Amino acid sequence: MSGVLVVMEHRDGVFNRMSWEALAAGQQIAAASGQPLSAVIVGSDLETLSGELASKKLDKGYRIEHALLKNYTADGYVLALEQLIKKLDPSFVVFPHTYQVRDFAPRLATRFGQVLLADLVGLRRDDDSFVFVRQLFQGKLNADYRHAGAGPCFLSVQAGAFRAESLDAGSASVETFAPQLEAGVIRNKPEAPFREAAQTVDLGSAPIIVSVGRGIKEQDNLPMIEELAQALGGEIAASRPICDNGWLPMERQVGSSGQTVSPKLYLAIGISGAIQHLVGMKGSKTVVAINKDENAPIFEVADYGIVGDLFDVVPALTEAVKKAKGA
Amino acid sequence: MNIAIPTHALAFSLHYAEPPSFSTTEKVLLTLLIVLSLLGFFGRFYRVLRNILSARKDSDFRLAPIGKRIWDFFWEVLCQAKVIRERPLPGLAHAFVFWGFLAFALVSLNHFAAGFGLGFLDADGWLGGFYFWFAAVFALLVAVSIAGLFVRRFFVQPIWLGRKVSYESGVIAFLIFVLMITYLGAFMISSASPLARGLWWAHALCILVFLPLIPHTKHLHLVLSPITIFLSRGEFSHIPPLAGDEDFGLVTGKDVTQLVALQAYSCVECGRCTEHCPAANTGKVLNPKEVILGVRNYLNDIGPHSEEPLLGKYNSQEAAFQCTTCGACEYQCPVGIEHLPIIIGLRRGAVNTGAWEDDYGTKLFLALERNGNALGMSATERDKFIKKQELPIFDGSQEYCLWLGCMGAYDPQGREIIASFAKVMQYLGTSFGVLKKEKCTGDPVRRLGNDLVFQQLAEQNLEILKQQKVTKIVTICPHCVRTISKDWRDYGASPEIEHHSEFMARYQDKLPKTDGPDIVYHDPCYLGRYRGSYDQPREVLARSGKVIDPRRARERSFCCGAGGGLAFLGEESGERVSHVRAKELAATGASIVGAACPFCNTMFRDALAATSDKPPQLLDIAQITAQTIAAQSIANAAATPPNGAQNV
Amino acid sequence: MKIIVAIKQVPVRDSSLHIDAGGHWIDEDDLSYEINEPDAYALEEALQLKEKHGGEVIAVLAGPERGSQTIREALAKGADRAIHIECDDLASLDTLGIANRLAAAIKDEKADLILTGLQSDDLGLGQTGVVLAELLGIPHATIIMQVEAGQGSIKVKRELEDGWFQHLEMPLPALLTIQSGISKLRYATLMGIKKAKTKEVRRVSAGELPQAAAATVTLERVYLPEKKKETQLIDGSPNEAAAKLVEKLKFEVRVI
Repeated sequence: MSGVLVVMEHRDGVFNRMSWEALAAGQQIAAASGQPLSAVIVGSDLETLSGELASKKLDKGYRIEHALLKNYTADGYVLALEQLIKKLDPSFVVFPHTYQVRDFAPRLATRFGQVLLADLVGLRRDDDSFVFVRQLFQGKLNADYRHAGAGPCFLSVQAGAFRAESLDAGSASVETFAPQLEAGVIRNKPEAPFREAAQTVDLGSAPIIVSVGRGIKEQDNLPMIEELAQALGGEIAASRPICDNGWLPMERQVGSSGQTVSPKLYLAIGISGAIQHLVGMKGSKTVVAINKDENAPIFEVADYGIVGDLFDVVPALTEAVKKAKGA
Repeated sequence: MNIAIPTHALAFSLHYAEPPSFSTTEKVLLTLLIVLSLLGFFGRFYRVLRNILSARKDSDFRLAPIGKRIWDFFWEVLCQAKVIRERPLPGLAHAFVFWGFLAFALVSLNHFAAGFGLGFLDADGWLGGFYFWFAAVFALLVAVSIAGLFVRRFFVQPIWLGRKVSYESGVIAFLIFVLMITYLGAFMISSASPLARGLWWAHALCILVFLPLIPHTKHLHLVLSPITIFLSRGEFSHIPPLAGDEDFGLVTGKDVTQLVALQAYSCVECGRCTEHCPAANTGKVLNPKEVILGVRNYLNDIGPHSEEPLLGKYNSQEAAFQCTTCGACEYQCPVGIEHLPIIIGLRRGAVNTGAWEDDYGTKLFLALERNGNALGMSATERDKFIKKQELPIFDGSQEYCLWLGCMGAYDPQGREIIASFAKVMQYLGTSFGVLKKEKCTGDPVRRLGNDLVFQQLAEQNLEILKQQKVTKIVTICPHCVRTISKDWRDYGASPEIEHHSEFMARYQDKLPKTDGPDIVYHDPCYLGRYRGSYDQPREVLARSGKVIDPRRARERSFCCGAGGGLAFLGEESGERVSHVRAKELAATGASIVGAACPFCNTMFRDALAATSDKPPQLLDIAQITAQTIAAQSIANAAATPPNGAQNV
Repeated sequence: MKIIVAIKQVPVRDSSLHIDAGGHWIDEDDLSYEINEPDAYALEEALQLKEKHGGEVIAVLAGPERGSQTIREALAKGADRAIHIECDDLASLDTLGIANRLAAAIKDEKADLILTGLQSDDLGLGQTGVVLAELLGIPHATIIMQVEAGQGSIKVKRELEDGWFQHLEMPLPALLTIQSGISKLRYATLMGIKKAKTKEVRRVSAGELPQAAAATVTLERVYLPEKKKETQLIDGSPNEAAAKLVEKLKFEVRVI
């Protein structure tokens, strides 16, 4: 049993950005344990993707192709990857922690009597084994895990935990693998993915984002935040509960189930900093947090923080910004 | 001197003229009419009585202490004290009518006895002659009073009596008036004249028509209200404990108890409850009179064994949840109706069965279940406050436990009040400590009717108090005082508890006195009407300034709007109760509004700023007292020269 | 429809957490517990499906004695009966071990649908449901927003990242992990709690179930995360703090 296998994710012919991060994690593990690194893509018509994969520093690439894998299904991916893993017998199988991975990877791991070490924020070498770091209690605590026993170690990495920039270029050969699949084994019938509302705002490209969370208490208090956003020349965003309540449209949600943003300035107002939200804005260049609770996890990722009542601070801030801009 | 008494047509003989005898036909007719009248009365009264008696028994009703019941009966029924005190002129008029009824008892009995030749009052004898005169005085008073009340109802038309014209009241007033006139008329004629017979029959018919009308109208209160007042629940806003696993409050007719039914049938529709209701006065749907009449109509239409919900056709859920539980209604009622247990009973029925779906309500319940306080804050916030304020922790060695309450522990304003009161206690040298752990007393959920959460909180708190061996509590919040002293009794005995105004009043001679500005004092509902403590806060404030009352004060105090759990619910409809009261307080011209409850304080904070350009300062009595103490110690320090020598 | 909802009892959200002496887990002494919030949404979805299509909702919880409080809450909300897998050794099991226990306890029930929350608020591994589906050999779908029941099949709406969604048709029996926030959670009333007293709770002790295999992943220690960057806390009154912040935004961050 040897080797690090990274499972890459893609949609519409483009790799998911997190896949590169997973590959970076795979590179780290491979280097630390002196094992070969390979990556796999699953689907059909994988020509372009395969070419892109070949330009990275890998020992080997694989493309699992089958007509039944054109659209993602849990059954399809599980069965196909199971066959490849049985053939390759890797020590580590690395995934990006995406919605899709959460859907099939645990099932895959179970087939090998293993448990997926999910959503890692880091890993390190300790003696001759690895220690894997996860977050518990929505980011309040960290935990060290170890893997034991025979069988591959399945793990998935959190967005932003590993830097895709650190990937080295190289060249690798990509081998085609044809899995044995019959139509009957795929039980779910997915339809095409769709978007609910027209995209009117692109938070991904906004340089300044003013984000609001549960601390705002009521919908009627939102105008105060809008005023600040306008004064700064930024876009408004929110954590999940605000969008769930319908106070702001879903497309303004920042977090693991919404958008991932990396603006120049991210202002988190009345946001506690639960992990689901942090994941979506960790990559921001500068984070400013305003919260009543000095122990709120948001301050962990904030560059500047004001511990105070947002109902006092926000209007004061709006005034100060307007004055500074000469309004 | 010769006084010639004119003896023309109006032969005023000063003698009650009764026809000497009646023919057999008349006697037969009289018997028939009496029987019909009694059938009319009992036929209806029986149904009402059956509705009341067949309703569920009140499991916690106790006749003892009987002394209080006898006193209340004497004072409120016989002396008509509440009737007169709360509405003086109409009240007096009614009192006369009532006393007239009592005075006429023997006369009326004699009247019918005489119809059968069995009269026992002899107009010529000294007893009979005196008695007829005695009754005549009342007849005059009653005639004038009933005429006045008639004019009030039909010409002045105060809105509290209802928007619709009440023909029934007109008919009754007319009958009573005629009754008195026919009686008085008999003093102006001779027994022999046919007019005497005519008057006698008119008088008899008035009574015989009036009798069956009693159980068919609100005049049923003639029979019921003395009983209702005597059989009260025993204390103000007494919420009965739930009787077993199947009892969730007033859900359907099956849950209506005998007391509730008795009270519903006693309603005299005077509207005093509505007149003083803060919700009814600010455009809300809630009308306490209509709540009681709704129950009465339910019982009349469907009866006390039905499974149809009480909140539906006859009473609305919306109205039930607009009540601040201020108690003005129950306090005012002259016939002994206890509105609060009924309204809260209806709320219980809705909350305990899940029929009430309110986002704010659910948020409040979850905040109390998870965090143990109504504001949903983490308990560590309370710990931080205690540390920052350097409050001593109760360890059993101190005399008093200072109960912070949710407002005192988490609300910025409430914390200021605690800080001030702590200073006062330190000045007085009282030993006190605060509990390390404290949960909400449960007042909001008690008034909203969530027995599940209330029981949890009461039991947990009682356990904490027992473990910490607390014997005396003092607190700044009247809601905590009420809940700890009375509502927790369902789950165990609690230590004695005092409100900080009562505490400070006991030591008022030790508190420094200064001349100060006008302070208008607002009586909190839960300290005033609920507890009767009107004087103590005033005595304390008098040490710091001149205490003045707003237009509605003491038992008439107008609610701030926060009670009944409403401080935690959503926006209210209509005009804001707090704004109405704030305007009234500011209109006195006082420069300071003195509050004795952290909820009143919170409500008036925004309301005063919103309703006046230069709002008066809003301070709790503890803050005012602490300021006076601080000012005095500064003055003392300035007066004492550094070397300690006396100033010459 | 026979629906089984797997629920977990976790420490109350926003509890202040202290690490125990050995550094292996948190100090449980002063903690209050409640139902894992995503599981509460799963339960709500199950109850709504029952109200629409009839059937039975069974709550399953694996945990120590204190779990019975959460079970009672589930029954009070409307579940028809419950299964309590009594075990004190959850900490020594991994996801596979727990899922195996759940599978063993419920497989004879032959439920049409099994629902779980999408992850737990304490460990957050988000896999127990998926693993359970694999052990039972039934299809599954995750992060579900909507369920429509048909004849022997269901149509579900699955949430994807970035505001995308997808409909899926699945045969029954199946397992779904439910996304939070998809409906308003009902409140357990006094009446619900009283009714809950008469509902059946089947107790299964861990000893009655097949022995769990040794855990392949073990939690070694827990600790407070170290701050990666120095947070500059700006103090002062709201006006003072606002002014200082604007200074920094202008000169240090250069966004104004």
